[in-house]
Amino acid sequence: MAGGQVEKRVKYKSSVKDPGTSGFLRIKEAMLLFVPDDPKSDSKLKVQTQNIKSQKYTKEGSQKPAWLNLTNKQGRSHIFEFGNYPDMHACRDFITKALAKCEEEPNKPAVPASTEQLSIRELELRFKLLKENSELQRLHKQFVESKVLTEDEFWATRKKLLGKDSIRKSKQQLGLKSMMVSGIKPSTDGRTNRVTFNLTPEIIFQSQVVIYWVRNPLIGVQVASCALTYRAPCETIFAEKPAVRQAFISYVPSKMTEKDFWTKYFRAEYLYSTKNTAVAAAEAAEDEELAVFLKPDEILARETRQKIRRVDPTLDMEADEGDDYTHLMDHGIQRDGTRDVVEPQNEQFKRSLLQDLNRHAAVVLEGRSIDVDSEDTRIVAEALTRVKQVSKADGETGKDANQERLERMSRVAGMEDLQAPQNFPLAPLSIKDPRDYFESQQGNVLNAPRGTKGLKRNVHEAFGLLKESIVEIRARGLSDPLIKPEVSFEVFSSLTRTISTAKNIIGKNPRESFLDRLPKSTKDEVLHHWTSIQELLRHFWSSYPITTTYLHTKVGKLKDAMSNTYSKLEAMKESVQSDLRHQISLLVRPMQQALDAAFQHYEADLQRRTAKSSGGERPNGYV
Amino acid sequence: DEDDEDEGIGEWERAYVDDRSWEELQEDESGLLRPIDNSAIYHAQYRRRLRAGTRIQKGLIRYLYIVIDFSRAAAETDFRPSRIAVMAKHVEAFIREFFDQNPLSQVGLVSIKNGVAHTLTDLGGSPETHIKELMGKLEALGDSSLQNALELVNEHLSQVPSYGHREVLILYSALCTCDPGDIMDTIQKCKKSKLRCSVIGLSAEMFICKHLCQETGGLYSVAVDEVHLKDLLLEHAPPPPAIAEFAISNLIKMGFPQRAAEGSMAICSCHKEVKIGAGYMCPRCKARVCDLPTECTICGLTLVSSPHLARSYHHLFPIAPFDEVPALSDSRKDLGKSCFGCQQSLNGAGNKPGPCVTCRKCKHYFCLDCDIYIHESLHNCPGCESIH
Repeated sequence: MAGGQVEKRVKYKSSVKDPGTSGFLRIKEAMLLFVPDDPKSDSKLKVQTQNIKSQKYTKEGSQKPAWLNLTNKQGRSHIFEFGNYPDMHACRDFITKALAKCEEEPNKPAVPASTEQLSIRELELRFKLLKENSELQRLHKQFVESKVLTEDEFWATRKKLLGKDSIRKSKQQLGLKSMMVSGIKPSTDGRTNRVTFNLTPEIIFQSQVVIYWVRNPLIGVQVASCALTYRAPCETIFAEKPAVRQAFISYVPSKMTEKDFWTKYFRAEYLYSTKNTAVAAAEAAEDEELAVFLKPDEILARETRQKIRRVDPTLDMEADEGDDYTHLMDHGIQRDGTRDVVEPQNEQFKRSLLQDLNRHAAVVLEGRSIDVDSEDTRIVAEALTRVKQVSKADGETGKDANQERLERMSRVAGMEDLQAPQNFPLAPLSIKDPRDYFESQQGNVLNAPRGTKGLKRNVHEAFGLLKESIVEIRARGLSDPLIKPEVSFEVFSSLTRTISTAKNIIGKNPRESFLDRLPKSTKDEVLHHWTSIQELLRHFWSSYPITTTYLHTKVGKLKDAMSNTYSKLEAMKESVQSDLRHQISLLVRPMQQALDAAFQHYEADLQRRTAKSSGGERPNGYV
Repeated sequence: DEDDEDEGIGEWERAYVDDRSWEELQEDESGLLRPIDNSAIYHAQYRRRLRAGTRIQKGLIRYLYIVIDFSRAAAETDFRPSRIAVMAKHVEAFIREFFDQNPLSQVGLVSIKNGVAHTLTDLGGSPETHIKELMGKLEALGDSSLQNALELVNEHLSQVPSYGHREVLILYSALCTCDPGDIMDTIQKCKKSKLRCSVIGLSAEMFICKHLCQETGGLYSVAVDEVHLKDLLLEHAPPPPAIAEFAISNLIKMGFPQRAAEGSMAICSCHKEVKIGAGYMCPRCKARVCDLPTECTICGLTLVSSPHLARSYHHLFPIAPFDEVPALSDSRKDLGKSCFGCQQSLNGAGNKPGPCVTCRKCKHYFCLDCDIYIHESLHNCPGCESIH
């Protein structure tokens, strides 16, 4: 794509059935131009980007060819058939970007800052949700199309459905595993001379790497062939052994296939594990590529030499005896005096466990430096090389790195036990004990003048009366019957009334839901009204307190919609059959109450606003 | 039958073999066995827990995330039957206790599996939802990552209003953490966003956990067995003292809904069904909700009832601890021989005066069980209340 325009071969169709005229499609930021191959055909097309209203396209993976359908503001649609999907995607992305840019300018003042660029994926998701959920679709139609709510507002409360949250949240990355590569021991099958490495995907491969061995009487065993089934990126190996990475980039695919490369690598690993330096030396002499794996890592040595120069002078380097540092001739402490006699030419083929362990630990602590999660080993290798180069370049430019190092040194230098414990000061509580309040109130009651409210008695009087009645009962005994019959009759009849009305409402079968007993159409209507009222009220209450004009207009629109619904509810109440009328009105009453509460709030707020704006100098009803 | 007997005596057998219960026996000076008296131990433990100090602010409206480590290490069986089962059981008990003591707060659950943190439940005030989700997925896989968990929790809690206290409680069984970046940065981020992190370890003490808790002002403890784990968990149920710079005072609007009349009918906003009778109506928008405490789905008002507030309130006005009465005091004989709370005799074995405590204000005597009950559950002294 030459910056700012896309050009592809397409076939232009004015409708789905049209076979299509082939030509070139050139898309620039401001406009789109289609030029047919045949100069005589008259389907040359020029469309301004601002006229494009929306675009639709066929999905990859379906049997249909790659089509891109652009609808312009007048309603005409143009269909372009592409040779392959990547082309179509490129065009589509370009058009989306161009459209977004167009929309930005005129829309800025009217729309609040929370408008996000809608990606095609989100639009798709929204369409899908609307199609699947008819209720949602009804709500959408009712509100968004009648301009009561905008699209964004409608979907703002449904973030969960859209899964937006999970998309926005940054994806978590996995740390590198602490388990080491060499922790995997191969299993040997003595009979058939087969050595099998079982490896897991995070580390190297996702299959069994079966290495066939052939016994060679002179040397030992030799790799004959290697079977690999499935591959996965080998990040850990490349991070730990830069020489292997370098070798991969240079050898594959020019000198050998990936399969051969890994075969040789595992051969080297096997030789290391057998600790048979003579064999290793022999093989290295024979096979140049194998030798790369067997000899010590030059790149690593270079890096560590640099690191040593920058080490904190207070650090005790004696403790690092087991590291790769000891391989550098001019560093490292040799064991005191007694040295094992080691054949000099084979020393380079030895590798100690400590070295591996330390190298692996260093890599794990550095963390994941690349974001590439691909299956192609080559891409991973290249990405790692790039990162290493960048960090090397950064490292060499001194000032910031120096500052960071000094900071780190000072942080580590303080000894923990000698520092004062970190005590967070606690917030003091200054609050009166509520019991004081109650006790003081009680004092007030006791001291209040009697007879002001005849029915209210204070505690002492009540106690006195109770005591009297107890004394009376003790003297007289309980009367028979215990309660006067008139009183009991009244109590029973009112109870019966309440229970029977409740029973009428609930119905004989308690499990059957009340709504199911209504005819279906009424039930649907009631539920629909209810969901729309819920939606409106939710948006209404969330817009208070009103701070911007946008919210003000929104509340106005919502109020109109709510009055609409109110009248609809009334109409429904009238229209329903007479036997159900009572129950419907019972159901509808709480909804109307909710709407009333909202209206009241609106009026009160409006009054407060106008009062505030009209007169600050007229306090408290002065005319 | 033998089978029944086997099952019946299985418990003590286990205690015998595994816990070496014979070691608990003690001899007195003449060589006779002393009876095992646990009540004194409990009482001593409980006294250690009481902190009677100056009045401090406590974080009453808490937004707590419980992070449970479901990595490979959680499948170990040193806690019987396995660490996962024990953790799940105790977390369930903790959640119920938490909502008992902090009715205005909310809890969320996060699990760590395969090096990635997953949100099991979002912040919510209903214990059943959390417990159901927790019990649904109990399996241990992969590595554990402290950094991913902290980042996820931080993100969730960034949307919490400023008067709420942000806390996270991590149950960590692994001995390492497999992180994609520098965890020290994450710790600094948590500190800046006022997130108080506490960790309960199940295997061994780790420096990074200790560092995290020290930096953010939380508590770090390592459990030695199942009972200890439960105690440590329940220690986090009462509201923690609020750190001075985190505590911002605000006026918060709350609604106290009326209970709906018996015969009234409405479609409730949480279930979309017609409910008759029991329920509450939001005082601002008149929507119906099923139980409290909750947030109104229409207008977002926090709805509580007065007992909920009272339950939170008593944390701020604890009863002063009672004084221990030495066994050979003269005043004992004057005030009678039974506990004022439960009317049981205060004498121990052999009619000798047993241990008891007395309230400073009303001067009544209480036995040890009543002392524990009054301070931990009742939060009112019966003697002081009965004076009026």
